Amino acid sequence: MNVETVLSIQGLTKHFGKLCAVNQLNLEVKRGQVFGMLGPNGSGKTTTLGMLMGVTNPTSGSFTWFGQTPTHLMRQKIGAVLEHPIFYPYLTGQQNLELNAMIKGATAQQIDRVLDVVELLPRRHDKYRTYSLGMKQRLAIASALLNDPIVLILDEPTNGLDPMGIAEIRELIKKIAADGKTIILASHLLDEVQKVCTHFAVLKRGNLMHVGPVDDVGKGEETVEVAAYHDDVADVLRKFPGTAGIKRENQHYLVTLHDGFHSAEINRYLFEHGIVAAHLQTKKKSLEKQFLEILAENSEPIH
Amino acid sequence: MSTLYLLKIDLKKMRHYRTFWIICGLYFFMLVTATASGMEFLKWLARTIEGFGQNININRIPLYHFPDIWQNLAWSSGLLKMGIAIMVVVSVTNEYTYRTLRQNIIDGLSREQFLMSKVLTNVLLSFTSMVLVFLIAVVTGLIYSPQFDYPYGFTGVGFYPAYCLEVFAFLSFALMLGMLVQRSGLTIILLLNSYLIELIIKENIDEYVPQLIKFFPLESIMNLVPLPFARYAFQEIRDYVTWESVLIALAWATLFNYFAYLKLKKSDI
Ligand SMILES: Nc1ncnc2c1ncn2[C@@H]1O[C@H](COP(=O)(O)OP(=O)(O)OP(=O)(O)O)[C@@H](O)[C@H]1O
Ligand SMILES: [Mg+2]
Repeated sequence: MNVETVLSIQGLTKHFGKLCAVNQLNLEVKRGQVFGMLGPNGSGKTTTLGMLMGVTNPTSGSFTWFGQTPTHLMRQKIGAVLEHPIFYPYLTGQQNLELNAMIKGATAQQIDRVLDVVELLPRRHDKYRTYSLGMKQRLAIASALLNDPIVLILDEPTNGLDPMGIAEIRELIKKIAADGKTIILASHLLDEVQKVCTHFAVLKRGNLMHVGPVDDVGKGEETVEVAAYHDDVADVLRKFPGTAGIKRENQHYLVTLHDGFHSAEINRYLFEHGIVAAHLQTKKKSLEKQFLEILAENSEPIH
Repeated sequence: MSTLYLLKIDLKKMRHYRTFWIICGLYFFMLVTATASGMEFLKWLARTIEGFGQNININRIPLYHFPDIWQNLAWSSGLLKMGIAIMVVVSVTNEYTYRTLRQNIIDGLSREQFLMSKVLTNVLLSFTSMVLVFLIAVVTGLIYSPQFDYPYGFTGVGFYPAYCLEVFAFLSFALMLGMLVQRSGLTIILLLNSYLIELIIKENIDEYVPQLIKFFPLESIMNLVPLPFARYAFQEIRDYVTWESVLIALAWATLFNYFAYLKLKKSDI
């Protein structure tokens, strides 16, 4: 077992009665990765994370943290928020963190620091019950940061946060990742995932459909957005030897190029045919697009 | 983690919980007043009921005399254990309704440790009840008892550990029920009705297998400290703790906690 492997999952399966929530999942997460878990609602993300955190009993399969059979002591070094923030409503934010610090074996001094990170210091002595949704999320993240975790598991951490909050959490994740920590992030905000994650996996109805680096997204064929105020532009674009496909979208054309062709060549070709492009932009394939392709009906799960 | 640390964790959850202080406050207040005021109650009866004082000389009823007082107070206090059991139910069902049990496990408590922290609180509550009632017995005994003969005056002190076991076994039952049902209202209703349910079963089998009665869970818990007051009507009572009753109650307490453990172990939370 490679020491750099933080998490290794073998054949992890969970049935809820007849329903198969997670099916034969194999996955590896290495140290320092920011690992995005993607998938539509009900695809098994939370169930998988629940098994990794010892609250959901797997039907079969196994996993190791840091190459070792999981124990509750390891969980003390893994900060995790699954789905919703969970706290005692009648305790204040401060008291809730004091309790969690006791459970994690963290010192009480860390509480000030984590509350500061999520900017909740001014409200620390208010009852959790009185917090807004975003404040509850922040407290949950603060609690996950207690005890200086080696791994951070965040299940839709920006749920209910304002745009500023989302940006702050993104920066926070980047900062934590820069410290060499490993982060597993389940999210529906593909933009966010593309911005912060190094790797991602896609689940669909409990099956693993894709796993790989985020950087690979957008490799291969290029798509170029073209607009020109000229009647022949569609014909010319179609005749361009690099064109693999063309599609009209609102005011412009989307040209998919063969491998090896780039936007500069289109520009030259158009110019040679007496057309001046008013708008020309290379579209890197977005994670969203790739995500939708992966989930397309005909794709096969990988095992 | 040490056992003391686990207890501290559970107490930390309770310390800032108002409901806990209200229920515990009421319970211990009732425990003190109900046990300490027996004599005043008799006097009040004598004052208000015509002829009561003439027919029975209340000072001749040795409610608070050594050694009668030990069993009298231990038995009476046993009646109040439902109050603290409700607190135990609230404490454990809260962990389900708030889903904090789930977060506790995620944060690094093992399921065994979680259960242990609850069981330890039960031990603490049982022990505190016992010490409190014992102190009341000593104080009221010194006030009302004409004399204290050693060692005869200590007859029946053995009912205090038995009373402690009685409370603990019942709290274990409440804890298990709370973990199985997971909702406070329903659990409390079941807890209140459990005596009735057991009574119905006992009534129905009494004719056929009366020797089984003493093995029933709630019966065995009640059996630890038998009703003492029949002796004032010149009836024979058991004024000592039997090993058999202790073993049966202990077995049930162990089973209740073991069932709770099994439930917690195999369920998704
Ligand atoms: N306790 C449970 N009992 C029965 N079925 C469950 C339970 N928990 C989850 N499921 C089912 O398992 C499947 C996976 O659920 P899960 O919560 O893991 O999805 P998810 O990927 O986290 O979805 P979302 O994006 O909506 O959070 C769903 O079909 C869900 O209905
Ligand atoms: Mg989910």
